[in-house]
Amino acid sequence: MLFRKECRKIFHSLTYIIYCIIVFLMLTTQYFSDCAEKVYRPVQGEYDYGETIVEDHDLIMSKAGDALTRDFLANRYVCYPFGFYKAVHLNDKKQARIEKYVCEITGLDREGIEEKKNSTQICNYTDGTHDYSEYEIKDMPVSDTMTYERFTEIMADVDDILGGGSSYAADDLVFNFSRMPMTYEQAVEKYNVMIEDDRISGAYARLFSDYAGFVLAIMPVFVAAALAAADRRHRMSELVYSRKLSSFRMVFTRFAALVTTMFIPVFICMIAAFIQLIALYGTKDMDMSAMFTLPSFWLLPNIMTASAVGMLVTEVFSGGAAILVQFIWWFMGLMTAGAAGLVGKISRFTFICRHNSLDYRDAFLMNWDKFVFNRVFYMAASIAAAVITVLVYELKRGGDFNGIRLFGKDSIFRRKA
Amino acid sequence: MVSGCLARIVYSDVKHNFFLHYLLALVILLASPIFFSLSELDSRLAAQPLEAYVPLIGIVLMTPVFLPEQNESIYDVVRSKKISHNIVCFMRLMCSLIMIIVMIGVYVLCMKHCNSQVTLRHFFGSVVSAVALGTVGFAFAGVSGNVIIGYMASVIYYVMNFSLGKKLGDIYLFSMMYNSFDEKKIILLLSAVMMIVVFPLRKLIKER
Repeated sequence: MLFRKECRKIFHSLTYIIYCIIVFLMLTTQYFSDCAEKVYRPVQGEYDYGETIVEDHDLIMSKAGDALTRDFLANRYVCYPFGFYKAVHLNDKKQARIEKYVCEITGLDREGIEEKKNSTQICNYTDGTHDYSEYEIKDMPVSDTMTYERFTEIMADVDDILGGGSSYAADDLVFNFSRMPMTYEQAVEKYNVMIEDDRISGAYARLFSDYAGFVLAIMPVFVAAALAAADRRHRMSELVYSRKLSSFRMVFTRFAALVTTMFIPVFICMIAAFIQLIALYGTKDMDMSAMFTLPSFWLLPNIMTASAVGMLVTEVFSGGAAILVQFIWWFMGLMTAGAAGLVGKISRFTFICRHNSLDYRDAFLMNWDKFVFNRVFYMAASIAAAVITVLVYELKRGGDFNGIRLFGKDSIFRRKA
Repeated sequence: MVSGCLARIVYSDVKHNFFLHYLLALVILLASPIFFSLSELDSRLAAQPLEAYVPLIGIVLMTPVFLPEQNESIYDVVRSKKISHNIVCFMRLMCSLIMIIVMIGVYVLCMKHCNSQVTLRHFFGSVVSAVALGTVGFAFAGVSGNVIIGYMASVIYYVMNFSLGKKLGDIYLFSMMYNSFDEKKIILLLSAVMMIVVFPLRKLIKER
């Protein structure tokens, strides 16, 4: 009964209507337009099939060695510490450390590098509106004594010197420096992975979750904050506090109502995506459940966490503070996800999990354990936040706590010691 | 006499209602070196922090113009005063606009000091983006009577600039990053119209 009442309240709120519009709009303009056409089996011929990533240690050491020497000679290292471009210029001391590493990797001494520099032509580039020059370094030697383990240690230190976010980060070496042009056979294999291993809907489910997760990491907080603040706004708090109902039941019913109602538009989009897939590929090779199971497991923790944070911070501070907290979290997540790459880089505590591709099933499965831990962790964290909200709510009902006010008569800035 | 009264209102309002917002806007600007390099940037790269990050202060400073009277008890008291509530809100709006201009001005000067190629155009573009984000929040908060909806609208507008990008056409906020400035003029015009329309629209809604 109470659950239905809360749901009805949410359905009639303007924040929820806007939430639904945004979820539909984002998925229509992003996922549905991206996936409107069927992916066909590659045709043999002189086509560019794209690139593939092979973990070839010799190739990595050679290409990364070239890139590091090129950046060292120009003293211009491009980094993306939070997803945004940053051209790092090092001081003499740090340049000397990089030089030492370049010598160690290549097996050349300072004169050898100078010689290589003098025999290489300078190329002019335009980056934005700014022109710069770089030595066109290619085929730098790799020292015979250099092992891959030592190489990754050096690269990790180089990334540290540059302040992080460089292409030399140890975890990104394979992705950045071990790319090869894809052959026809590899392109067919990639297609087969999507059809046979992912059974079509598995690949699309990941892409759907990626697009939806981006929005669902921020939007639910508005609906939750508006609902939690509504009692105070309409001067109904005292009336609700005096009811016989337990705080636990009150808070958890609201929490359940928020999660259920906010999942509805997402579920409708899942059905639409599933119908679109059937229209494109038919049902013969399709996994009939993947479009519902994976996105639910991926996206529910986002809705639950953003809702729980919204409720808790609104009860303790205010709706504005809840939005601010969630926005900072979302923005940091967005920046770090962008810097880490949008495919298969899911760590244990990434809030916004990204996999913006129909391919790279292996990269996703490589992090499967972390992904499962991550989603279960956020589900548990959201329930813990809801339990804390119960305690805060109980204190407020008993008159022992009136929330921490940032503005007005009793604000923390006006309270006298 | 009247100007003295208005000055007192502004002083009291800044002290009790807006000081924290000003402080938060300042913290946002001071935190920017965490995400972006501010030195040695060419004109296109300098547009990155000035368009994608600095305009967030518009949301913080302009959306809460109607926040203090969200509490209906306070609104009842304000309504009983001689000076119209709309005049108080208009003054808050002007204070926020001035703060945006001053803060972004100082920020651009700092970038200039760090040898970045910033010009008046960058300053103007960043202010317009901040005002646009803020105006969306201000307008939605004013018309709906709920500041949370204001924050929601301006955050959605910001998120759409990331996800839809250039598909937003003339209202794309990050155009300077792509060496285009025409969008700013249209955004400024739309923002001005929205700002002017909010007060009569609020009156109309309340009279209904």
